[in-house]
Amino acid sequence: MDLSSMIEGFGVVLEPTNLLYCLIGVVIGMLVGVLPGLGPAATIAILLPLTFGIEPVTAIIMLAGIFYGAQYGGTITSVLLRLPGEASSVVTVFDGHVMARQGRAGTALGIAAIGSFVGGTVSIVALSLLAPVIAGFALAFGPPEYTALALLGILLVATVGNGGRVKAVIAACVGLLLATVGRDMFTGAERFTFDSLSLADGLDFVPIAMGIFGIGEILHGLEERNQAAKAPAKVANVWPSLADLRQASGAIGRGSVLGFLLGILPGGGATLSSLAAYAMEKRRSRTPERFGRGAIEGVAAPETANNAASTSSFIPLLTLGIPANATMAMIFGALLIQGVSPGPQLLSEEPELFWGVVNSMYIGNILLLIMSIPLVGLFVRILRVRSTILAPITVLITLVGVYTVRNSVFDIALVIVFGVIGYLMKKFGFEPGPLVLAFVLGSLLESSLRRSLLLFDGDPFGFLTRPISGTLLLVLAVVIVLPLARALLRRRAPERELESSDV
Amino acid sequence: MAQLPSRKNVRRGTVSALAATLTLSAAACGGNLSGGGDGEAFPQGPVTLMVGQDAGGSTDLIARALAEGASDELGVAMPVVNTPGANGALAANEISGEKPDGQNLLLINASLTAITPLAVPDGAIDINDFTVVTGVSRDDYVLVTASASELDTLQDLIDSDDELKFGTTGVGTGSQLSQELLFEQAEIAGTAVPFDGGSPTMTAVLGEQVDVAAIQLGEAIGQIEGGELVPLLTFSDERNQYLPDVPTADEEGYDVQVSQYRAVVAPKGTPEATVERLREAFTAAFGTEQYDSFNEANLLTAHEVGADQVIDEWAGYRESYQAMIEEYGIDLSEEQ
Repeated sequence: MDLSSMIEGFGVVLEPTNLLYCLIGVVIGMLVGVLPGLGPAATIAILLPLTFGIEPVTAIIMLAGIFYGAQYGGTITSVLLRLPGEASSVVTVFDGHVMARQGRAGTALGIAAIGSFVGGTVSIVALSLLAPVIAGFALAFGPPEYTALALLGILLVATVGNGGRVKAVIAACVGLLLATVGRDMFTGAERFTFDSLSLADGLDFVPIAMGIFGIGEILHGLEERNQAAKAPAKVANVWPSLADLRQASGAIGRGSVLGFLLGILPGGGATLSSLAAYAMEKRRSRTPERFGRGAIEGVAAPETANNAASTSSFIPLLTLGIPANATMAMIFGALLIQGVSPGPQLLSEEPELFWGVVNSMYIGNILLLIMSIPLVGLFVRILRVRSTILAPITVLITLVGVYTVRNSVFDIALVIVFGVIGYLMKKFGFEPGPLVLAFVLGSLLESSLRRSLLLFDGDPFGFLTRPISGTLLLVLAVVIVLPLARALLRRRAPERELESSDV
Repeated sequence: MAQLPSRKNVRRGTVSALAATLTLSAAACGGNLSGGGDGEAFPQGPVTLMVGQDAGGSTDLIARALAEGASDELGVAMPVVNTPGANGALAANEISGEKPDGQNLLLINASLTAITPLAVPDGAIDINDFTVVTGVSRDDYVLVTASASELDTLQDLIDSDDELKFGTTGVGTGSQLSQELLFEQAEIAGTAVPFDGGSPTMTAVLGEQVDVAAIQLGEAIGQIEGGELVPLLTFSDERNQYLPDVPTADEEGYDVQVSQYRAVVAPKGTPEATVERLREAFTAAFGTEQYDSFNEANLLTAHEVGADQVIDEWAGYRESYQAMIEEYGIDLSEEQ
C-alpha cells in the first residue's frame, strides 16, 4: 500500500473547507437519522445540486458524513420512541426501548454512541488495510451465496422475536408472501398486482416498515391510553458505567468485525448487519432470556455493526465502482457529476480523493462521538413533548417522509394499511420484526435462488459445489439440526438405556 | 447481502422543494434571455421534469443536467421529480394524465416504448401517445466479459463448447434483447440470467457468475478502462465515439442495433407554440459547455433530433424488434 498518499490524504481532510463540510455532513446526517422517514439517500439526493460547485473530494466528504452520521442519529428515536429512525436501527428497538422504559435511556444512547464510534473506527482502519484484498473476496459472492445467506437470515428471524416461536414463524411467512407481490423479475408476469402499476415493482420496504413499526405502535399506544410515543422523562447519566462497558465490550468487538464483513458484500449493509449482530449476541449469550428485556448487548451489538457496515460499504464503491446500496448509488452519482468514475483505477488515478474520503471518516466519527453525547440531551428535549402533540406530528412526518421517497400517494395509503396491520399484530401478540425482516429477505431469496438455478442448469446440488455457499448451507444445516438433535437425544436417552440393557 | 434491502429500504429521494428554490434563484440571477413574446402564456410557474427512474441513475442525472440549462432559458424553475415504478410506465401514465399545457414534462427512455412491450404487453406505452419535444441522447450497450475469463473475443463465444450464461439488466431491457438477438443469430447456446439493473449485472460478470453481459457503456467504462472488463462489441449503428476500437455487432455481420435513446415528451395535445418554446429552451441547454462536458463524463452521444425523427425512429425500432423476435422465435418473457 502506498503509505505516503494515505498520509497526504490526512492533509486533504485537515484543510479548513473540508473539515467544515465534514462537520456539516455529520450534523445533517444525525438530524435526518433522528427524523423517521427521511433517510440518508433522500437527503443526499436533495443536497446533490449543492455539490456541483464544490471540489469533488469536499462534496464526497460531506455526503459520506451524512451517511454514517445517520447511523448515529437513527438510534435515538429507536431508543426513546420505539420508532426506528433508520431501517438499520430496527433491532435496536427491542432492547433499547426497554432500557429507556427502565430509566436507562442515557446508558443505551451512550453505549450506542461508543459502539458506533468503535465500530466505525475499526472499520475504517480495516478498510484502509484491506480494501484491495477484500474486493476480490466480495466478487465471489454470486447468486448461490446470496441464496444461502438469505436462507440463513430467514432462519435467524425466528430467533429475533420475543413472542412465541410459532407466532414468529407465522409473521415471517406473511412477510415472505408479501415479498412475492409485484411483476415477476424473470418473466414479467404479474403477481398480485391487480393491474395496478403502483404494485408492479412490488411493495416497498419503507412504507411497510414505517407503517408496522411507526403507525402501528402509535395506534396501539393510543388504545392503551398509555401514550406510546412518550419520551422518557429524563435521560440521566449518558456515560455508561464501567460495569455496563465491561458487559458490552464483547458485543462491541464482535459487532465491529461482523458489521465490517457484511457491509463489504455488494448489496450488503447496515440493516442486515445490525440484525445479524443482534442474533449472534442472543445466541452466544449465557442468559438469552435477558434479550428483549433491556440487555445492553442488544443495543451495543447492532449499533456497532451498522456503523461498521456503513463504513465498509464504501469498499466495493471505491475499489470496484459498484455501489453496495442505494446511498452508495447516490454517492456514485455525485462522483459521476464531478467527472470522477469510481472503479479499480480510482485508487491509482485519484489517490487524493480516495484517501481524503477514507480519512475524513476518522475525523467524522470523532466529531460524532464528541457531539452525540452532549447532543443527546438536546435531541431528548426535542423529543420530550407530550404524546398528544408528538403522536400526530410523528404520523404526519411518517406520511410526508414516505411520500418523499417515491413521490407516491399510493405509498401513503400503504403506510396506513400496514399501520393498521401492525396495530392488530401488536394487539394479538405477534411480533412485527419477523414479518418485516422476512419481507426484505424474501425477495432476495427468491431472485437469488432462481438465478442460481439458471446458472446451475436446474441442478440443486450446484449449491454444494461452491465453497462459500456450501459452507453457509452446512452452517444452516447445523443450526437447524443441532437443537432438534439435542431435544431428541434428551428424550431418547432413557429409551436407549433400556435398549442397551435388552441386548 | 441484499441487492434487496438496498433497493427496498433506503429512501431514494427527490427533491423538489430545495431544487426548485435553487433553480429559481439561479434563474433570477441569470434572467430570462429571450424575454417577452408568447412567454406570457407559457410558462406559468415552474415546469416539472418527471423521471420514471430512481434518483442517481443515468436517466435522472441527464434530467438534472437538462433542467439546469433549460430553466435558465425559460426563466422559471425546472424541478426534477422521480416517480420510479414499472420500468418507468408509472411516470409515463402520470404524465399522459396531466393537462397538456407544457408545465409537466417527462424524460422518457426508448426501451419503455420499444422493448418493454415485447416482454410485458399489458399496459404498453406508445410514443405516439405523447407530444415529443426533442430527442436528447444515445446511451450504447456494450457486450463485456471479465478479463480474467478465457472469453476475449466474439469468436471465443462462438467457439465455446459450454452453454454460456449471459447476464441481463432485467426482463424487457435492451440488454436482454440485444444479447438474445446476437446469440440467436450467431448460433451461440446461451441462457439469460436477469439481474436487477446494471450494477449487479456487472458484479456478476466481474465475479464470473455469468460469462458475458450487455451493460450501458457509462456504467461499465470504469471497469473497461481499469482492465477488469473486456469490451467485445457495441450494439449501436455506428462505432461509439468513446470506444473507437470496439466493433459494432453490425460490422461483425449481425443485424442487432439496440441503444438506449432518451427524449423529452409532453402530454398529447400540447400547443405547438408551447412545444416550440420548450424546444428552444432545451436547445439552449444542449448548447451549454456544462452540458457538453456532462455528456462526455457520462459517455453519452448527443442525439438532439426533432420530434418527427424521434417518433419515426422509436416506432421503427419497435416494429423491427417485434419482427426480429418473431423471426428468431425469441420470447423475452420466458425463462429458458
